Amino acid sequence: MARKQRDVLSVEWVKLELLRTAYATRGGLMSKFDPRVVVAWYLVFAVVPWLTHNITTLSVLFAVGALAVVLSRVGPLVLGLFIFGLVTETAYIFAVAWFFDGDVQTVMALLTLTLKLGTVALASMAAFVSLDPEKLSDALVSMHAPPLLSFGVSYGYRMLPIIMEEFHTIVDGYRLRSKPVERGFLGWRIPAAVAFALVRSFYPMMLNTAKRTRTTVEALETRGFTFAGESKAGRSMRLAYLRLGPRDAALVAVTVALVVGAFMFGQHLPLLSRDF
Amino acid sequence: MTAVIAIDDLSFRYPGADQPSLRGVDLRIERGDFCAVIGGNGSGKTTLCKTFNGLIPHFWTGEFTGGATVDGLDTLESSVAALSQSVGYVYQDFGNQLVRPTVGTDVAFGPVNYGLADFRERADDAMRVLGIDHLAGDYVWELSGGQQHLTALAGVLAMDPAVIVVDEPVAELAPARAEETYRMLERINRERGTTIVVIEHHAEFIARYAGSVVLMAAGAVRWHLPVREALARTGELAEHGIPSPQIIDAVSRLAPEAEVPLNVGEAKAALDGLGAPGPVDRRPAEASSARPIASLTGVTHGYRDVHGRLSKVIDDMDLTLREGERIALVGSNGAGKSTLLNLLTGIKVPRKGTVEIDGLDTRRARPAELADHVCYLYQRAEQMFLKDSVREEIAMFPTERARPGTDALVEEILDRLRLTEMADRDGRTLSGGQQRRVTLGIGLATTPALLLLDEPTSSLDVGTRADVVAMLAALAETIRCVVVATHDMHLVAEWADRVLVLDSGRILADTAPADLFDDPALLETVGLVPPQISALGREVGIHPPPLTVDEFVSAYAQAPVGGR
Amino acid sequence: MTEPRTATRKRSLPDPNQLSSSQKLMVFVLSMTLFGLANIFTEILPEFRLGPVELSVSYLAFVPVVMVSLFHPLYAALGAPLGEIVFVDLLMGDFSGIGELEGYIQLALGLYVGGSLVRDPSRKWQVAAAAMVAVLIDKGVGGVIDMSKVWVGVEDAEYVDGLPESILVIEGFAFASDFIISGILFGAIPAAYLAARLHGKIEPLMGMTPRDADHPVPGRARKNAAFIALAVFLSLASAVFTFLEAADVKFGVWEPDFLDQYGTGFLWVGAGASLVVLIGTVAAARANARRSRAENEKER
Repeated sequence: MARKQRDVLSVEWVKLELLRTAYATRGGLMSKFDPRVVVAWYLVFAVVPWLTHNITTLSVLFAVGALAVVLSRVGPLVLGLFIFGLVTETAYIFAVAWFFDGDVQTVMALLTLTLKLGTVALASMAAFVSLDPEKLSDALVSMHAPPLLSFGVSYGYRMLPIIMEEFHTIVDGYRLRSKPVERGFLGWRIPAAVAFALVRSFYPMMLNTAKRTRTTVEALETRGFTFAGESKAGRSMRLAYLRLGPRDAALVAVTVALVVGAFMFGQHLPLLSRDF
Repeated sequence: MTAVIAIDDLSFRYPGADQPSLRGVDLRIERGDFCAVIGGNGSGKTTLCKTFNGLIPHFWTGEFTGGATVDGLDTLESSVAALSQSVGYVYQDFGNQLVRPTVGTDVAFGPVNYGLADFRERADDAMRVLGIDHLAGDYVWELSGGQQHLTALAGVLAMDPAVIVVDEPVAELAPARAEETYRMLERINRERGTTIVVIEHHAEFIARYAGSVVLMAAGAVRWHLPVREALARTGELAEHGIPSPQIIDAVSRLAPEAEVPLNVGEAKAALDGLGAPGPVDRRPAEASSARPIASLTGVTHGYRDVHGRLSKVIDDMDLTLREGERIALVGSNGAGKSTLLNLLTGIKVPRKGTVEIDGLDTRRARPAELADHVCYLYQRAEQMFLKDSVREEIAMFPTERARPGTDALVEEILDRLRLTEMADRDGRTLSGGQQRRVTLGIGLATTPALLLLDEPTSSLDVGTRADVVAMLAALAETIRCVVVATHDMHLVAEWADRVLVLDSGRILADTAPADLFDDPALLETVGLVPPQISALGREVGIHPPPLTVDEFVSAYAQAPVGGR
Repeated sequence: MTEPRTATRKRSLPDPNQLSSSQKLMVFVLSMTLFGLANIFTEILPEFRLGPVELSVSYLAFVPVVMVSLFHPLYAALGAPLGEIVFVDLLMGDFSGIGELEGYIQLALGLYVGGSLVRDPSRKWQVAAAAMVAVLIDKGVGGVIDMSKVWVGVEDAEYVDGLPESILVIEGFAFASDFIISGILFGAIPAAYLAARLHGKIEPLMGMTPRDADHPVPGRARKNAAFIALAVFLSLASAVFTFLEAADVKFGVWEPDFLDQYGTGFLWVGAGASLVVLIGTVAAARANARRSRAENEKER
């Protein structure tokens, strides 16, 4: 079996795809708004579906969520994972409900649940995929989230590729310096070997990261991070760029209109509403 | 009041340590000085510098007596945060000092934290001074080591401190990049009057940039002298692991009465009275016809980047590495050195063309099988440490593959690399040079036909480096072909017999070290700095230039007109 | 220029078992980074689904369990779930807003309790038990929250034929497979092995004294942790029983006739009670943390 350089379905590809998701901001709809408004927009869509059982209303909300996802240019990897999860989860619930003697009512009841969960998930995708993590963390800080959160986000953003690379190196070291893996029955030894290498590789990784962390925390101290936690000036300076504009007001207005519209539409055209 | 750092009878002991790390230190560093702190491993250099910004005793607690005043602040009474506005610190592992995703935000991190309203101007200014303003929007992880170092320095500079401490800039940087850092430090020192303190092993840099030198030994200051006086004490320096620069060595051997030269120009002037030197006696290299160990035919390789573009890293390369060769692979960052090494290990297979190692096509063999024929030693030794002790580390490969005579082999390697004493210690707790020897041991234990090393001399002090070079030379007995990717031209000069100069995925030159150093245009293209002795050799008219001080001195001995 | 000092000033050693604020930050950052990295793998690892049995690694529990066993459990427990949120959810665009909050609390609680139970990280059984407790709490609370989502999300859920049973079955299977895969295979076993190897080795790298039986976690974390573990367990049990009642699953003679008397409204009392216990537990943990912080400050 000859090996070749693959552009898809290889470790390199996965690494690259992850980086692409994390760093190549696709500049969708939501990235143009003030991050605080985006968070608020998300919160509306995270709460409203739970206030109704009307399938029509929920369908409209779901459609709005789906539209927002399209406009936000969500990457294929994330979207694919979402659709796959939604479909299998629903099918699975149906199957089990049928097994326990459910009927159409059961299915419809479950449909409302799926729509609700789906709407919330779509809204979170639309809101957070195209939003720069740094901006999101700024929004959270301006809503008085702990400063450690904001630090965590930017630190993670900075470290991700580096620690991924380091881990890859260690795993490669294991691969090359260990006994070549035999395939075994149905190749079961291969996943087992991968799992073992993964766990073992965390041993050097933990030690190396501990050393790294020591310098980082020391540097944080000398660069005034703890000082900033006590003073308000740095925080307000950092957040100074957050400003609400007419564009943000428009988003709020459209959102309110859509939600109200969904409820009114649902009142007029209730679909398969059950009554007990 | 001109002393920016005043330390009186300072002692410090880490909790649980038997010996104090600092004992009775008295030191005055003048404002505007460029001061180099030198000393062997464990002499207390770094501990001393961490008292300047209060990390000791506020962050790393312990028994602290005596006093230190920095820029008018008593360090015991002030917090690290307050002191850090006066003292900036650039770490030896500076990469971990960068905590924000992009260069611009990282440089502004300090000023923003301290609530300085002009943080943007400060950051822009610092980046402009260091010439990295074009990188402001780049991600920190995309930068080269040198750029990261300048970013860390810019982050410190943006606070406009009175003192900047730089811990071993040369340790993790290629010499040419370290040169850049030193030029920048000199500029900051000259233009802003900032006091610079560097911890440094390399006498060359000290000679060219420092104003005064502090020698630390066993936790105390041995002396603090102006640079010329300090470097004249060659014997004492060598005793503390700091061999004198090649040009000082050469001048003291040829013209002992001359003043200590601090740069190539001064050295040339000092040797002017000796007359013209003769040529260096060296056997001409003959084309090798030995058995090929590795060959590349028409190899093209590239990666997709984050934006999905395919960038070519190796471009249609043909290359044969033969038995008995000591090959140095040089070139600037991004020239394709590590990709070439990765292709030679078989971890990666080329997009086009074939790579054959010891008769095996890398496409047909699994990496684990190829590992019997080729071994790759990473630049960062720590990434190779998978086990608990040095012995297990070295024994891992032969044990896993159940090779006969493993125990004897491991003991022999431990003995040869002088690791027997530390065989049961964890590799991570060893010093840089010891770690490097352990990785060499890992390589030897796999008994490969082809050994690949990435920057084997980086982050080593001069003494340890010489040690590793000697080890490399001894490898020839057991390993048939060794390839070293390096920026270190001293290593190239002293060890290699064949140099491959890589540029944008192509082999720009396939030559001998002396010919490389005789071609300034080529050196310029790929950003290499020749060893000082070769540069001096060219200056005084020796072609091809000498590679070692001995060769240089012998050239004068063979001069047509006697020098003395 | 400062005058020469007359008296020698001395700064004495603080108690080595007392973590300084920077060391807490170190533990937090380390735990965050490592668990973040671990989660990237679980994102990539494939899932196997065979009928109702789903085999997937939901997380590499051993990573944070090793952290809470070796270091101060509170800071390690607070850092780890943040790593998951930051590295995977936020950066990979998989952030689910409010949902992250519940996940964070569940996991942090589980890890804190698990880590506090460890007296000596070199004892393999203690670490293994910590891993199992942590996953048990996290997945148990998670399962109950999932079930309550169905309750809130579906109109009169208890009257929909087959629904309560199916939800119970689904959550039951998920819980069992998570416990076996994440709690034992990728939890207890590797954690016990790694913690013993790292013990006494990783702490000096960060300038800390190793934790052992003679140097336990400062404060009364252990006692509190045991209390929290009990409380969480009870609240879980009560929530599960609530669902069982709704599903008409009857255990032997235990058939409360107050159901007939008060109607199904009583179910809400049960669910509410379990929620109150849960909130109380979290509040107690927080108050405890605050108290121990205050104590630390006083001692410094």
